[in-house]
Amino acid sequence: MAQLQTTTPLAKKSPLIPVLLALFAVILFLMPYYANNYMLDVATMALFYVVLALGLNIVVGYAGLLDLGYSAFFAVGAYTSAILMTQFQMNFWLTFLIGGALAALAGIIIGAPTLRLRSDYLAIVTLGFGEIIRITALNLEITGSSSGIFGIPRPSIGGYAFTHLYDFYWAMLLLAILTLFAVNRLGNSRLGRAWKYIREDEDAAEAMGIDRVRVKLIAYALGAMFGGFAGSLFAVKMSAIAPESFNFMQSVMILLAIVFGGLGRLPGVVLGAVLVIILPELMRSFAEWRFLLFGIALVVMMIFRPQGLWPSGRGKTE
Amino acid sequence: MKSWQKLGLALTLSSALLSACSPEAVNNSSGGGSGEILIGVQTPTTGSSAKMGEDMNNAIKMATEEINEKGGIDGKKIKLEFADDACDPQTATAAANKLVSQGVKAVIGFYCSGATLPSSGIYHNAGVPVMVTAASSAKIPAQGYKEVFLTTATTDQQSEAAAEYMLKTLGGKRVAIVHDNTAFAKGLAETTQTAVQKQGGQVVAFEAINPEEKDFTAMLTQLKAQKPDATFWTAYYAAGGLLIKQFEQLGVSGAIGVGDGSNDKTLIEIAGKEAAEDAFVITSPTAEFIPEAKSFIDTYKSKFNMEPGPYTAVSYDGMRLLADAIKRAGSDDKAAIVKALSETKSFKTFGGDVSFKSDGTLEKSNFIVLKVKNGQFTRE
Amino acid sequence: MEMFTQQMINALIIGSFYALIALGYSMVYGIIKLLNFAHGDLYMVGAFVGFAVLSLFGGGTGLLGVVVAFFAALLFGGLLGIGIERVAYRPLLSSPRLTILITAVGVSLVLENGVMKSFGPSFKVYPVQLPTEGFQIFGATLTYAQILIILLSVLLMTALHLFVTRSLYGKAMRAISIDHAATSLMGIPVTRIISLTFFIGSSLAAASGMMAGMYYGQISFMMGFIVGLKAFTAAVIGGIGSIPGAMLGGLVLGLLESFGTVWLGSEWKDVFAFSILILILVLKPTGLLGENVTERM
Repeated sequence: MAQLQTTTPLAKKSPLIPVLLALFAVILFLMPYYANNYMLDVATMALFYVVLALGLNIVVGYAGLLDLGYSAFFAVGAYTSAILMTQFQMNFWLTFLIGGALAALAGIIIGAPTLRLRSDYLAIVTLGFGEIIRITALNLEITGSSSGIFGIPRPSIGGYAFTHLYDFYWAMLLLAILTLFAVNRLGNSRLGRAWKYIREDEDAAEAMGIDRVRVKLIAYALGAMFGGFAGSLFAVKMSAIAPESFNFMQSVMILLAIVFGGLGRLPGVVLGAVLVIILPELMRSFAEWRFLLFGIALVVMMIFRPQGLWPSGRGKTE
Repeated sequence: MKSWQKLGLALTLSSALLSACSPEAVNNSSGGGSGEILIGVQTPTTGSSAKMGEDMNNAIKMATEEINEKGGIDGKKIKLEFADDACDPQTATAAANKLVSQGVKAVIGFYCSGATLPSSGIYHNAGVPVMVTAASSAKIPAQGYKEVFLTTATTDQQSEAAAEYMLKTLGGKRVAIVHDNTAFAKGLAETTQTAVQKQGGQVVAFEAINPEEKDFTAMLTQLKAQKPDATFWTAYYAAGGLLIKQFEQLGVSGAIGVGDGSNDKTLIEIAGKEAAEDAFVITSPTAEFIPEAKSFIDTYKSKFNMEPGPYTAVSYDGMRLLADAIKRAGSDDKAAIVKALSETKSFKTFGGDVSFKSDGTLEKSNFIVLKVKNGQFTRE
Repeated sequence: MEMFTQQMINALIIGSFYALIALGYSMVYGIIKLLNFAHGDLYMVGAFVGFAVLSLFGGGTGLLGVVVAFFAALLFGGLLGIGIERVAYRPLLSSPRLTILITAVGVSLVLENGVMKSFGPSFKVYPVQLPTEGFQIFGATLTYAQILIILLSVLLMTALHLFVTRSLYGKAMRAISIDHAATSLMGIPVTRIISLTFFIGSSLAAASGMMAGMYYGQISFMMGFIVGLKAFTAAVIGGIGSIPGAMLGGLVLGLLESFGTVWLGSEWKDVFAFSILILILVLKPTGLLGENVTERM
């Protein structure tokens, strides 16, 4: 494990990168100063989706396991924080870690028995699992049943309380950057190469001595963990959560994000997540037309650009 | 690693997109100060409750046009800004933030309690007065936000009326309660359970169905075994009609009735005339049962070419009340409007005179019982 | 006993609808390995086509109107299925399966919102409804409409089964599902057979949508979503790709839901059904009647 990376992505940068990244960073960091609440809220949602999409990308993009119930993990994180904070007055940052850990555990629980399954069956099992989590949240008293949990306290850090929208924007931005960094490192690690090997040819990978059960389980656990982190932050940002936020359409939208941008490629995943949030908002003025237009856009894009919006360089790197 | 270069480009582009996300938001951030008062309308216009949202929007538009035709509020015209909450907490939060950043002076609408709960917190933080004309979960006033006012009676008050009707008027003892697991209906079901037990009745079944499905026979077969004297459906008319139809088809004992979420003629059409006969509805008075509302109904029909839905009259009244409060406040200052709303004294509406208690709920609730006779709702 | 019989009848009705839709899922999956998420929406479209035709006939619709509407729904649904396959799926047959799955989600959004725009967002009451009269059997109620639905489902499914197992077209379908390329080399018009498969699957879904409209009496543009999800589950329980499996899966899911309600209460029935689904897949990953195929993606 000494040699974690074959290539250091940022090492071979062309002169243009710093300029673009800097420009982008300026926009991102100045956002809270020039944007109004609505824009900031949409931006926070987009960043939130970036974290979810990056987490799901570990499972679907790297390891090639189709997951249709990803919102279950994000629900686990959100409910963990909400319950621990409202019922046990726990510190948010502690519940944040517990939320991630429990989500990872949920990933292992659902992953373990299903790993032998064919990918389509895996899709339906994850879908079923997502529904089970949602309906359970809907029925249990501790999860606030159908009205969910509201009045979730605001977190604070060293006496500074998160009260404004931009506090959550910064927190979500930080989480997104950390996730991007971590998922990128993972993708280039020995483990990441094992995932991609399994995705391309499971039998060959096994023949090469990769422990496929263990490697897949780690993919599930890590993917779920990021979902849990995002969910936990989501809960305090919204200050209210309800089972409807974790329905099947939500899972589909996260999946859409990663396919839209370009599966397995982090820049594409990030772009996809941002677009999935922003496009419907841009089309808000069309109100009832927006999902129709969104559907058409999806079909057209898949036909004319099935590799995702991102120009894929797959052949080069793998 | 050209892809990182492209990432930078793409992200820059997308943040530029984001900045362009809502051009009108920037333009209107002053709230249309010059001769206009910007009022937000948050209702579901997509998703399964879209019809109710459309009804409410129509009624609010109608009231606004009438007010503007009469010269607006002290010469200022009301301008409406609509936001769809899709009855979903997440969309509702985005909608609320959008309206707040557009600088609305007050918001009106709110059909689903599940969408109202998270968004009311956002309005509260921004100090925006909230006029809730349909959602009635007792949890909404329980949040203690002074900006929030409800012009429909809450679920607590409705439950008392329902329990009293089933136990006293119908003389039943064994009550079955069915809801659809939405925030509003489950809340009403729970308060009804408490009310029935408090008034000496017995709740023999407490069931939930999924309103997106159409076959409730498995649950009803279980219900039948409990031999209820009265069954109460707390949710909406679309599934309620199916429930009544299948209830009669299976021959479950006792009477069946619905809460105000199901007060819609479509209930009878879906259930079928025969099955719906004698079903009861516990509801706040809707336009058609108020003689004074005749002209409202006629205008509404000719304007929108459809029957006014159950929450049209109360939304129309809510808009009038809000305009009245802004006038009384003497300015479009948000805090002043909140104060004026809380001081509302006997404002005349179709449903009776409106005054608010300190928690923003109606001082007087006035429920009526309707019964289906020959395919028509008739007042008991 | 009375309750048991009644629950069996309930399960049979629910199961019949699931099975009819699951068939389309299974056939399409069998032939091009696509999970057609838009399939449930064809059921919805069928219900709305029937609604439109029956409304055209006006109030006094007789048997003739119902028959015309039934075949209109069947035909329109089938043609729509062909159209969808031609426009949205065919260009993608060789791309990764995720891509085409996402396309299916897009098609589903288009169908749902397209119907919402043309018919409005509110629930529609079906102009003609099946009568609710029936008779008592072992203390349980069985209506004539329920008998009709069960008979019609059995008829449609038997016809389909015979078609696939006995006819030349059916043989071609099975050949394609085994080996696409080789079938094509044998001179079989693969694209035409795929179109035919979509036609049959979609028209079955549309026909059952029309039947559901007449039986339950209320339709909405979202009605296909949950049924589609359940039918998909039914297809997997039975063994996706297998026609008798789809029928069995529908029935099993209907039973699971009915008895889940009895044992655990109505709010837990879906948790029960999905848990059993996961259990079945873990113990017998190919579903109840699925064939054992090792996967090579």
